[in-house]
Amino acid sequence: MYRSHVLVCGGTGCTSSNSQAIIEALETQIAEKGLSEEIKVIRTGCFGLCALGPIMIVYPEGSFYSQVQVEDIPEIVEEHLLKGRIVTRLLYDETVTETEVKSLNDTKFYAKQERVALRNCGVIDPENIDEYIAYDGYQALAKCLTEYKPEDVINVL
Amino acid sequence: MKTLAELMAIKEATQQKMTVREDTGDDATRIIVGMATCGIAAGARPVLNAFVDEVAKRNLKGVTVSQTGCIGMCQYEPIVEVIQPGKEKVTYVKMTAEKVAKVVNDHIVNGNPVAEYTVSAIK
Repeated sequence: MYRSHVLVCGGTGCTSSNSQAIIEALETQIAEKGLSEEIKVIRTGCFGLCALGPIMIVYPEGSFYSQVQVEDIPEIVEEHLLKGRIVTRLLYDETVTETEVKSLNDTKFYAKQERVALRNCGVIDPENIDEYIAYDGYQALAKCLTEYKPEDVINVL
Repeated sequence: MKTLAELMAIKEATQQKMTVREDTGDDATRIIVGMATCGIAAGARPVLNAFVDEVAKRNLKGVTVSQTGCIGMCQYEPIVEVIQPGKEKVTYVKMTAEKVAKVVNDHIVNGNPVAEYTVSAIK
């Protein structure tokens, strides 16, 4: 059981701003600190905020780091992942107020959006089918195949 | 895969591994382990991992385990704080991995803080 998940955006925008190198640096330094059994690094699909890439989000805190550079990784690993001190200078500034850290969904950019087909993008590992299933993937298909008659499916459509 | 039950089994098993990514909001029980230099030196890492394992083993919902910096009582590390909504914060001192199961069972699950491990038990 991992105590923390680090989701790094692997969308086209963030990849072009070098998120692959960030993933590699994270994995190397997490291993160096002996944290490989405790912290999982996941490459996700696009978060949708490409202008602020490379983007990463650290759970369980839900800390949203933006415009992360490879040089920032030692600080994030040492301070946040090892000691639990969030590196506030790298947080997406709209999520930080003087008294609290806001949820991403309450920021101006995301509050206006209702993502439907892309709601799991940036949340799950797109190359892990089990994570898709955990987030209700294939439920409709399963229902059609096991519970509904062809007429029921046609009626729904 | 042939049945709905098999799909649901994958769903539940994977969800359990992904609880750390849930937005638990203000209703969550938070277990916070002091992980400053003093905490780490006193053995906070095994305590932190024991909490993660125990919470996972019991499949507890709405419980997060995280770290914090130095609380300021380095001689009593490893220190663990348990914060539950609407209740006073409970501070455990000189924690060990062995004490973790009792804290999770008595306090987190059954709501009775383990008085003998808390900071108020220090003479």
